[in-house]
Amino acid sequence: MASSYNAKEEDGHVPGSAGHGGAAEAKSKKPDNTAFKQQRLPAWQPILTAGTVLPAFFVIGLIFIPIGIGLFVTSNNIKEFEIDYTGVNSDSPCYSCATNASWNNTTPCLCSLNFTLSQPFESNVYMYYGLSNFYQNHRRYVKSRDDSQLYGDPNALKSPSKECEPYRMSGAQPIAPCGAIANSLFNDTLELYHIEPNGTRNLIPLVKKGIAWWTDKHVKFRNPEGNDNLTVAFQGTTKPVNWRNPVYELDPSDPENNGFINEDFIVWMRTAALPTFRKLYRIIQKKSGPTPTLPSGNYVLNIAYNYPVTSFDGRKRMILSTISWMGGKNPFLGIAYITVGSICFFLGGGFKQAALNIWSVHGILGGVELSD
Amino acid sequence: MYTALPILALSLFDQDVNDRWSFQYPQLYSPGQLNLYFSKKAFVRCMLHSAYSSLILFFIPWAAMHDTVRDDGKDIADYQSFALLAQTSLLVVVNTQLCLDTYYWTAVNQFFVWGSLAAYFAITFTMYSNGMFLIFTSSFPFMGTARNSLNQPNVWLTIFLSTLLCILPVVAIRFILLQIRPTINDKVRHKVRKEALPAPTPHRKPARRISTRKSGYAFSHSEGFGELVTSRRFLLKRPLKSRPVLFATTESPLAQNQPQHYRTITEEQDPSV
Repeated sequence: MASSYNAKEEDGHVPGSAGHGGAAEAKSKKPDNTAFKQQRLPAWQPILTAGTVLPAFFVIGLIFIPIGIGLFVTSNNIKEFEIDYTGVNSDSPCYSCATNASWNNTTPCLCSLNFTLSQPFESNVYMYYGLSNFYQNHRRYVKSRDDSQLYGDPNALKSPSKECEPYRMSGAQPIAPCGAIANSLFNDTLELYHIEPNGTRNLIPLVKKGIAWWTDKHVKFRNPEGNDNLTVAFQGTTKPVNWRNPVYELDPSDPENNGFINEDFIVWMRTAALPTFRKLYRIIQKKSGPTPTLPSGNYVLNIAYNYPVTSFDGRKRMILSTISWMGGKNPFLGIAYITVGSICFFLGGGFKQAALNIWSVHGILGGVELSD
Repeated sequence: MYTALPILALSLFDQDVNDRWSFQYPQLYSPGQLNLYFSKKAFVRCMLHSAYSSLILFFIPWAAMHDTVRDDGKDIADYQSFALLAQTSLLVVVNTQLCLDTYYWTAVNQFFVWGSLAAYFAITFTMYSNGMFLIFTSSFPFMGTARNSLNQPNVWLTIFLSTLLCILPVVAIRFILLQIRPTINDKVRHKVRKEALPAPTPHRKPARRISTRKSGYAFSHSEGFGELVTSRRFLLKRPLKSRPVLFATTESPLAQNQPQHYRTITEEQDPSV
């Protein structure tokens, strides 16, 4: 019995008709003798040697520490002022407003707080309102909106999505904008006055445009088509349950900021990730000339206290902050980078020492004896 | 697509050392037989590593996003940007860890690793684009998130930090273990870098009798029946040369290590047929 083996042909067919014994396979299943299938591809084979790891740790340490220092210094140079105006304590000016606040109030409750800025604020100053213990990241809350309706889709306007339940219909009419997120819109009004040394009060101009993301304002949120008069465009819908005014009266003085494209509304609809968050409220433009935007001194914050938070132990605050290339004041990144950089640096040094000790005793890799 | 393919490429193409070295040092197969890679200890180690990575991948973005805003003052600590940040950090960490675990870098698995990162960003930007939002409004609510958060240096620094915090302990532990307790794989790999490829052992025609070698299959998890089979307890007392050979001895892998050198092997005529 002869079985001969030749070079494998393309179709795997063993040639020769004579002498096929039981041992010769009719079709060879042997894989091709190519570099790909025989795992002989050209490759790079790195291993973790001391020559790569130790310098890598040093280099990472050397890179991270300056970045960390830069971040930390930048964060420290950002000026920030925060004032809580919830009115929980009875000696707070807003205490009476806090105890009487509810969603049904028709007249706004007013209170004012005095504060002092010890340092002048240069360049653009951003005014934020901050809420605590407010879980905008709750799953049912986040889903409770209708993006089609907010995009101006006429069908969705009259028949909002089921996700908005129970804030979908009010009586027989659909709610525009529907959902729990829109219903809980933040409606406090804040005004800032600077008290000059001679006693005069200056109202500080607050800019309300340019606070929402460009993509939100111009693509995601659109008013329903058909009529420039928004009252007509929103006919057949009703306002959300907790609102005082319908959506087309959010800013009647400016048609670019009215209806769904109102920037305060858009900022609120971008739900926050954490229970303690801040949202941009107004911008204080920098003044041309050498005067700082907010000189140091006394200020008065006038609040139209509409938003009740004491029922869920929430807190409200107003924040004034300058901005840098890394955003607001957040020392965490700077500290983290410095810490990680120093650890790497010292580990690199420590490893080097340990490795030298081990090698002097055992040789590299414990002496490559393979007879074990 | 961007998580499965790199792992597949790793499992298909990775090798400790090539086949000639494997023949030289058959002890390389012993960790597989001793069940070193799939034991309870290995599993617990894996769980601890995952727990640590998850904590890093959540709490670093959380701390970085806490009360932060964009460089033009607008919000960045929103739900969608936070999710995007966590996911991007995760992708980068996974791919970097994969690169650490790969000891045999071919063009194919490089393509898969970089390709998966590129695919991730391509898919993210597509999903978060205006077009997708306009066509399928309720399915793609994350419109604009990628554009608005990934252009912040803050975000990239956070991704970089979480990647390094996840990877550096792994590198450090591996390096220490390499120095103190090198495994057989590490020793051979180290030798590979220093010495030349061993010559292929010449093919010896095996004696025409039943093999007395222990049956050593590479991926056994327990001892197997090799000992039993080759103990010759079940053999009949007959002259050996009457048994036909079961498989033609043409399938020698060593022969294939020399390309374009195909040999013709003929068997002797079996007298009994």
